[in-house]
Amino acid sequence: MFNFPVAGIEAPIPLLVLVGFTVGIVGGFIGVGGGYMVTPALIVFGFPGYMASGIDMTHIAGKGVVSTIRHRQLGNIDWTMALSMVAGTMLGVELGVRLLVYLKHMGLSTVVLLMTSVVVMFFLFLYTQIETRRAHKKIEDMAREGKSVSREVQTSSLPAMFQNIPLAPIVICRTARVVVSMWVIVIVGLVTGVLAGFLGVGGGFIRVPALVYIVGASTHIAVGTDLVEIVFSGGYGALRHSIEGHVDIVAVVFMLSGAMLGAQIGSMATAFVRGPAIRYILSYSLILATCGAVLRLAYVLSGQSIEWLSLFAVMLTLGEMIFLCLFIMSLVLFALRHRRGKSVPAWVPPLVV
Amino acid sequence: MSAPSKTRSAIKFVFWTATSIGVFFLVANLHTSGSLARWYYYSAGDDGYAVNADTFKDATAENPAMLQIGSFAKLDGLEAAPVKKGDRLPELANGVISEEELEKAKRVSLEGNLIKVTVPWQIKESKGFKYKDTFKHKGIVTYPWGAVYNVMIVIGLGVTLGYMAEGLTDILGIKLEKIRHFEGH
Repeated sequence: MFNFPVAGIEAPIPLLVLVGFTVGIVGGFIGVGGGYMVTPALIVFGFPGYMASGIDMTHIAGKGVVSTIRHRQLGNIDWTMALSMVAGTMLGVELGVRLLVYLKHMGLSTVVLLMTSVVVMFFLFLYTQIETRRAHKKIEDMAREGKSVSREVQTSSLPAMFQNIPLAPIVICRTARVVVSMWVIVIVGLVTGVLAGFLGVGGGFIRVPALVYIVGASTHIAVGTDLVEIVFSGGYGALRHSIEGHVDIVAVVFMLSGAMLGAQIGSMATAFVRGPAIRYILSYSLILATCGAVLRLAYVLSGQSIEWLSLFAVMLTLGEMIFLCLFIMSLVLFALRHRRGKSVPAWVPPLVV
Repeated sequence: MSAPSKTRSAIKFVFWTATSIGVFFLVANLHTSGSLARWYYYSAGDDGYAVNADTFKDATAENPAMLQIGSFAKLDGLEAAPVKKGDRLPELANGVISEEELEKAKRVSLEGNLIKVTVPWQIKESKGFKYKDTFKHKGIVTYPWGAVYNVMIVIGLGVTLGYMAEGLTDILGIKLEKIRHFEGH
């Protein structure tokens, strides 16, 4: 046990490093900060609620830098898209935080927060899951017909619709091979920023699907580009939390040392898979997080009388981290077996390269 | 992407590893010297009494903690130092019991030159999770440049660790080529 004088608690270092490591894998792979997983874990370790959010947000900023460096090496970042989005994201986060403060004054924050989380995450899960299943089937059909399959296959017609909006200035995102009105990118940043600020998370799980289905970026590029946004939004969030006195930097450093290794594994794992594999993992993380939010909502609505609901929500969130890590690692192992011509389950070949 | 030379990779790895270790030592030094805690519990945000909330965390209504009021430069035990909003906090202080809280007299009360603490913590909730809320962190203001320092440390550590890992994979000969997003496989 290590004494954290700022947080005023004693917590085990290996568990902090482990949380950083697991969230690093998931975050590096699907381009999310993982705030909805880390905050409950820190509260379980004994950190006060206000500090759990601050530590989480600060560690996300550092982890975002680590992952960004690796994704840059893999060519997964479209800098034009990322920089076009920054201002919208920052403004959105600020608006989201102000909305939350307003609702807190009205005494509505917890229920509204949880309900919004459930609706947004469930909708995103549903759309991502349906579209990805279609893409999965399309890859299988193309492979059966002997056609060459590119790393990214997606079937949504939404990107074409948004790319046809003729509103100047039009930006050319060369890495993503997307030509789109800058306003589309800015508004995606703004809207996802509002949701991120309001829900108190980095916003990656909203921004990655938005970049894929609205802007039309490939999933790998959406992940890398989103991590750049997370550095900016996380850095800003870290500063705000630090000024409010919600950050124990020593805890952040321990988590970041684990996240460094996890982020390498997660980022490099993207080189072994096609876009739909990342979208599948993203959708599973969304539905598991939705289940956790439903349990917490039920607990709050029950007048906080059914204790096992809260306990089960925590267990589900922690279990989710382990499940997603194992899923990502097994995909990489299957990809390696597939490359060597060894047998793999039938659903694997369309998802790996 | 061409593979970097072994020597260049080794220099890169050693440089960024040394820098990372330097940042870790800096944080460790700030932690052990107490600077981080002093920056965190920097000044009073309310008029009241600066306290070290850890010293009375086990107090109960049956066995209350009695804090001696005085102008202490360091709060070693059951002590409380009167402060005005904006004053620097004494060493080891980690919370301020506000005058408003004392007037309510529900958890703490003023008894002559002593402060009597009967309810040192309450169960509160954040994001649907319960936690123990104490007098710690109450009525304090963090040193603003300490907050900037926090962000600089975390971003700096992210950069050094990120390049250190890149140097390591280069040395190990793990070829990471740019992904060809739009070519068939």
